[in-house]
Amino acid sequence: MFTILRDLTRHNMEFLSGLALFAIIVGLVILSYFSPYGATDIYLLPPDMPPDGDYWLGTTSRGQDVFWQLTTALRNTLYFGIGVAFLSRIISLVVGLVAGYAGGVVDRVLMAINDSVMVIPQFPLLILFYFVLKDSMTWTALIVIMAALGWSYDARLIRSVAISLKTRPFTTQSVYSGMSMRKILVEEHLPYVLPIVFATTMNNMIWSIGMEITLSVLGFTDIETPTMGMMIYWANAHSALIAGTWWWVAAPVAVIVVLFLALFLLSMSMNEYNDPRSRLNRMGG
Amino acid sequence: MNALLTLSHVTKIYRQGGMLGRRQIVAVKDVSFEIGSEPEILSIVGESGSGKSTIAAMILGQTAPTQGILHFRGKAVALHGKAERRAFMREVQPVLQNPFEAFNPLKRVDRYLFETARNFSVGAGKSDRQQIERLADEALGHVGLSLAEVKGRFPHELSGGQLQRVAIARALIPQPRLLIADEPVSMVDASLRMAIVNLFDQLKRELGLSIVYITHDLATAYYISDRIIIMRKGEIVEQGEARKVLDNPQHSYSRALKEAVLSADFAEAP
Amino acid sequence: MDALVEVQNLKAYYRAFLFGVDREVRAVDDITLTIGRGEIYGVAGESSSGKTTLIKTIAGAIRPPLKVVSGKVVFHFAGGTQDIYAMTPDERMALRWLHLSYIMQGSMNVLNPVRRIHHSFTDFALRHMKVGKSEFFAKVGSHLQRLKLDPHLLQAYPHELSGGMRQRMTIALATILTPEFIIADEPTTALDVIVQRDVLSMIREIQHEIGSSFLFVTHDMGVHATVSDRIGIVYAGRLVEEAPTRKLFALPLHPYTQHLVGSLPRIGDAKARPSLEGRPPNLAMPPEGCRFHPRCPKRMEICSQKVPPMITVEPDRRVACFAVTGDQA
Repeated sequence: MFTILRDLTRHNMEFLSGLALFAIIVGLVILSYFSPYGATDIYLLPPDMPPDGDYWLGTTSRGQDVFWQLTTALRNTLYFGIGVAFLSRIISLVVGLVAGYAGGVVDRVLMAINDSVMVIPQFPLLILFYFVLKDSMTWTALIVIMAALGWSYDARLIRSVAISLKTRPFTTQSVYSGMSMRKILVEEHLPYVLPIVFATTMNNMIWSIGMEITLSVLGFTDIETPTMGMMIYWANAHSALIAGTWWWVAAPVAVIVVLFLALFLLSMSMNEYNDPRSRLNRMGG
Repeated sequence: MNALLTLSHVTKIYRQGGMLGRRQIVAVKDVSFEIGSEPEILSIVGESGSGKSTIAAMILGQTAPTQGILHFRGKAVALHGKAERRAFMREVQPVLQNPFEAFNPLKRVDRYLFETARNFSVGAGKSDRQQIERLADEALGHVGLSLAEVKGRFPHELSGGQLQRVAIARALIPQPRLLIADEPVSMVDASLRMAIVNLFDQLKRELGLSIVYITHDLATAYYISDRIIIMRKGEIVEQGEARKVLDNPQHSYSRALKEAVLSADFAEAP
Repeated sequence: MDALVEVQNLKAYYRAFLFGVDREVRAVDDITLTIGRGEIYGVAGESSSGKTTLIKTIAGAIRPPLKVVSGKVVFHFAGGTQDIYAMTPDERMALRWLHLSYIMQGSMNVLNPVRRIHHSFTDFALRHMKVGKSEFFAKVGSHLQRLKLDPHLLQAYPHELSGGMRQRMTIALATILTPEFIIADEPTTALDVIVQRDVLSMIREIQHEIGSSFLFVTHDMGVHATVSDRIGIVYAGRLVEEAPTRKLFALPLHPYTQHLVGSLPRIGDAKARPSLEGRPPNLAMPPEGCRFHPRCPKRMEICSQKVPPMITVEPDRRVACFAVTGDQA
């Protein structure tokens, strides 16, 4: 495993860049734990100060240090993305593997549910949830709701892999060794499915974080917890671009771009690694 | 004496297409034969499309016949209850065509031996490791291998011949009465093939095992079978004692098949 | 012998030092052979013998991680003598189909499934033949008839024909430009016995009518007995014996050949057949000395120490075995 990572960094420029960018992100998140200011404290510092030696990225109109605010916001956004990805992977794995292996009625029922979830218009639904739940729309609730929306494409992907695995002779041999369906799915089939799961995790994070930022910018989430989208929301609320405090908008936007680039590069290079032919081609000779 | 396996007027039709304009493919048509309680090797010989693999799939319960009766020890083969399936698998085991595909490339091969021992043997408790290893070693001994040679190995570390022998050993652990071998040597290297073919004969004599040997290779069928069934396009064209049928085939297709077999006998060179 | 293809001390290895894998697989390890004009040279070997790598190397179809480490492959085509590895990839492409053609296992699937078969012929060959379309189809028609195929089949879709028929049409396609040298890699392995016979007789027709040479690779000794003029036995990346077909079957010299020939079961003969112990070697870590020695019933001490050289024991026979040729250093 370690040698795989080492060789990926050596030969795959995309992976290396993605890893470097992600390292920056992680670095910022770690820094957030050392923030000298509380996350929700306001009017501590002179507001609207441009970036200089004391305040590296300036301060906001609410008297917060943009840099430290950014690190905390990034941390919350990242945890949100990871939470959604984790929960939705579990759902898509269970649904995909069981539907693919069991076939018949079970498959049809699961896929009917799957396809229904797939076509739900997500954005309007999330807004609806906000209006219904209002203040009880905590981050946990949002994570659960998004996880419940984000599993369907990948469940179909995993199902097609499961179907092809079912026809492979070693599945027959496993059945005749007396293994139960659960055991076959978890121990025989799961290792084949995991590389795909990892690649889709990146995509899922890009989707969920993008959704979160959109909702937050519009003010449809808990406005007390700082996230990337929330920073932009507050900047808009204080007309940052017109007032001239451009650093308040520029900083989160720049970091969002870096985060998405990192996730995308990692996802792309992992996908390429999964395909053995492209892997061998890169090795040259 | 109750016959072990009975097929009576078995037909399998596959339907393709949607609701309108369906097409029918008759894979197996009106096939009947029996395997008695005496150990024997029955070869089912045919070209591609003859239906021989479909028959194997039906015997193993992977698909059900469209018409006809398929009984093992008097009970229908396509069973659903877990206990009944388990009892069936205890008596009937498969040997598959591609030894490299029959094992999960990501897993060690001894895993399947241990699982089979744990699930099927009488008296082996789930946590009795020594007992399980002993059973695996015994089965491997029947095929000329030992647990020490095979333990901890991945499929790519063994040759096709060795893997196929491990697969046979695994099939022997539940002490079955019937082995269904679907083209077991077609993917094995020429230099290792005879070892496996000889092994089938040995297992019949030493363990009293019956084997349904499915192949397109007339020569190996001649070599080890007691009885032979020749199939063409889903139907049986000729059946009977192996040596008799192949020394003197009656049906025109059987004759054509025999003549098409390439031999190295230069007396008849073109 | 009027040589068409000369392979000289060819070595081709797979080298992989990446992603935690550090391996050099010596798939072709110092092979020398010559194929004459108009002859069918059979290469017999098992799945891990390196024979597939050998034909890829001869055809010039090398891609990383496979690399030709040393040796030469020289063609003596009508246009002149060419060293295939001294050419640019473009020059190699020009060779293909005109002089060098390739029939693979499962090549029946090469035909475009959504177009009629005559389209495949046009796509392939029209440009090279430099003639008008109607003249082209006249030539195609007569080529098919020469190979005992019905020209009306050109109007069919591939799925309308059986596997054997498709394979024969694909062979006709591969030979339409009358190449001088054809590499056939297990062309009949996936086919039924009755169809196989027709395909093999078609190959002999091609040899007869067009005068092409074949490098025919298969593990099936029965096929070699039927179609090959000379046979080279490959074991673990090395050539161990070479002889005309009849002589090889009448009196195989190398112990491996003896096993291959002797273990063929035959209808009408129920005598017990022996099996060979051990297993094919791992080409990444082959045995020292003669690669067959761990399994050889005639092994001597020298066999594990030195590599037996290929010695010409008769004008048309070569063998690499200390038990046969004695200890000749």
